[in-house]
Amino acid sequence: MTDVKEGASGPGPEARHQTVPDDEMFPVASFDDPHLQPAAKHVRRAEGVAGLFLVIGFLGFAAYGASYWQNWSNVLQGAFLGVGLFAFGFGMSAWGKYLLPQGPFVEERHPNASTEAEVDAMAAAVVGRGAMMFRRRGFLGGILGAGAGVMGVVMAFPLLRSLGPVPKQSFDHTHWKKGSRVVDFNGKLVRADDILTGGSLTVFPEGYVGNAMDQTIIVRPTTSNVVTKAGRETWAPRGNLAFSKVCTHAGCPVGLYQEQTQQLLCPCHQSLFDVGQGRPAVPVFGPAPRPLPQLPLYIDAGGYLRAQGDYHEPVGPGFWERS
Amino acid sequence: MRVQVPDRRQIRVRHLVPAFVVAGMAVVGLVTSAASGDSPRSAAGPPAGAISTPTTPVPAASLARPSASLARPSVRSPITYRTPTAIGQGGALYQTNCSSCHGPAAGGSSVAPSLQGVGAATIDFWVSTGRMPLANAATQATRKVPRFDRQQTLAIVAYVTSQGPNYGPGIPSVDTKSASLPEGESMFVLNCAACHTITGSGDALGNGAYAPNLHEATATQVAEAIRTGPGNMPRFGPGQLSDKQVADVVAYVTGPIKHPDNIGGLGLGGIGPVAEGFVALLFGVGVMMLMAFWLGERA
Repeated sequence: MTDVKEGASGPGPEARHQTVPDDEMFPVASFDDPHLQPAAKHVRRAEGVAGLFLVIGFLGFAAYGASYWQNWSNVLQGAFLGVGLFAFGFGMSAWGKYLLPQGPFVEERHPNASTEAEVDAMAAAVVGRGAMMFRRRGFLGGILGAGAGVMGVVMAFPLLRSLGPVPKQSFDHTHWKKGSRVVDFNGKLVRADDILTGGSLTVFPEGYVGNAMDQTIIVRPTTSNVVTKAGRETWAPRGNLAFSKVCTHAGCPVGLYQEQTQQLLCPCHQSLFDVGQGRPAVPVFGPAPRPLPQLPLYIDAGGYLRAQGDYHEPVGPGFWERS
Repeated sequence: MRVQVPDRRQIRVRHLVPAFVVAGMAVVGLVTSAASGDSPRSAAGPPAGAISTPTTPVPAASLARPSASLARPSVRSPITYRTPTAIGQGGALYQTNCSSCHGPAAGGSSVAPSLQGVGAATIDFWVSTGRMPLANAATQATRKVPRFDRQQTLAIVAYVTSQGPNYGPGIPSVDTKSASLPEGESMFVLNCAACHTITGSGDALGNGAYAPNLHEATATQVAEAIRTGPGNMPRFGPGQLSDKQVADVVAYVTGPIKHPDNIGGLGLGGIGPVAEGFVALLFGVGVMMLMAFWLGERA
């Protein structure tokens, strides 16, 4: 192949074999070119279809305007607007598809490879100029590098300092304290026997109703003391078993109490916690990594439920500073 | 210019038939699942137990609490259903339909719990919702067309509750005339929506259990379920939800839950993003795909 040594993409105009005259290889388009006619075979029919849909679009928009002004039902407003937009778009697309020339149109390309002399000259110029730039503009290049380096360092500052305060100890404690009175969502004090066996109730420390970190769920599997594990003998007096309602997986409230299987289910990712005698809310299914913290309760002299103190571990999902 | 018209494969309707078949099956599935009221069962696992046990005994202290107000209680118990004729008729019905599992004197057996003392509300709930007689002992009892009419149901209640002293509540009679819908909604969201969902459409729980949808429950059945806590549902006693609050919840369930607004047109069963996303993908993206086919087709 004689073209290999040249290295160019195609033969130059001098090398081409002239078998087809130029004006036949590159014909000029004319007004009457049959390929520039509308693409549809039945132009009138295509015009009718496009026109019909454009009219429907027009009516749809008008109807939407009327329905909006007259406050008709949402369904009607949406339907009119939808029909209007769809029909209008369909009509425009049909116009473009059926009433315009479709092609494809191919234009032969004139040979455009450079001569060998031109290629060599250009290569020499680029390489030579590039090398000279490094020698001559070293000082400017250095300043550019220094500026970029400082920019990179400074861009990291918002990440390092402005992401908000470090939590420090604020996640370790809730508002439950020794002697906090247990209240329900309406602020009513909870007595020891208010919850029936098989019942469950969402409670808060008095004064902090609605606080997300303090929310606690009391379940009552029986009416006698429930011991979930060693060391917690007094924590569930008369069966009032209190756990943090904040799921240890991602923080959703674990409010689904299954009375017969004695389990708490979290609705978000279906973590299932075993509760009851000898079962300290250990997760048996789902993504929760740790058991729900248990709140120790006691019954005061008036028969009301109170907390013996705060939870013995931070509530809710894990975080970096959690021991 | 020289125009080249290469060989191209025309999109014909027959090429889209497989897509239409799949879409048709999907629509049929969507319609039938939305039409059937029950929420889908969760994944099958070993059954938790053959038959759910009735409520366990509670100390007398929590039951001795008097009802909310004497002037016009929101939830009252009608007394006069336990007559000798009712007990007789109920006894006959019970022996035919219930005694094979629950024992001849409602004392229970190896396959069914004892019904002595569970109270009228419990019996009435399970029988009037059709859950009893049980269809399939291996799964959670499901609501179905009740086998007995109201008078027969009350007769069975009369018979069973006459078998011994009752610790469970009586059949409540709910008065929702002065009920507060906002308070009912607040209590529903706090206590019920976790399991039954905010639209009351029900949802799966763990271990093969599910919370049924509330669209077919009557006011009495709702109040009975709240007070007796059937199956895996927890019990809400008077110390937790007063009679007035129960009436509020009943008003909310029989009102906005059963007859939702659906201002968007189709409620799609109220089960949320799965159904809505399905419709959006099937019809919205489907139509867009068809449009893309059409636009890209060569003339």
